[in-house]
Amino acid sequence: MKEKKIVIEIDEQGNCSMDLEGFQGKGCADVAKDFQGSDVVKNVRNKHEFYIPETVGKKQQQRS
Amino acid sequence: MSKYVELRTNLTDERYLVEALREVGYEPEVCPEGRPLVGYVGDQRAERAHVIIPRGQLDAASNEIGFARDNGGVYQAIVSEYDRGIGFNDVWLGRLVQVYKERQTLAVAKAKGYVFKGKEVIHTPQGKKIQLRFAVR
Repeated sequence: MKEKKIVIEIDEQGNCSMDLEGFQGKGCADVAKDFQGSDVVKNVRNKHEFYIPETVGKKQQQRS
Repeated sequence: MSKYVELRTNLTDERYLVEALREVGYEPEVCPEGRPLVGYVGDQRAERAHVIIPRGQLDAASNEIGFARDNGGVYQAIVSEYDRGIGFNDVWLGRLVQVYKERQTLAVAKAKGYVFKGKEVIHTPQGKKIQLRFAVR
């Protein structure tokens, strides 16, 4: 099972980013909420890896 | 699932604001009900604040610097034009927010049971970036 990692970066301009890896389903949103607190969300995106399993799955289905 | 979230930090927690101000060298006064700020000649100003850096800790000609809690519970900095000019500007405020967010993040992680994996200070052209790493038990 992939380790669940959280990397938080805080800059000197009052911005913060959260990089969440290895989470499944609702767990990811829960972790984001824990660290978000009352901060304003500027942007949220699913990372590249998020799309890979589905694409691979589709290709495998097409081949079979 | 992997996610990337970008946030704008709001100063909402008095405890971490006070801790951040202490870390950057001040001993703020906390007034839960708020009080008017004092100007450089000892005059009472129109602005009120809840967390205040007294004049004695600032430049001889400084006004008090305050943080006023607005209706949404967010602390807004009140800094006079003179004090902005001598360095208590957006850069100073940004660094204060950085310390605040680091304190808040470490406290949240501890309270929620995340495992602290390390801290790194990254130097970028835009300034210092603090990187905190955690894992889930």
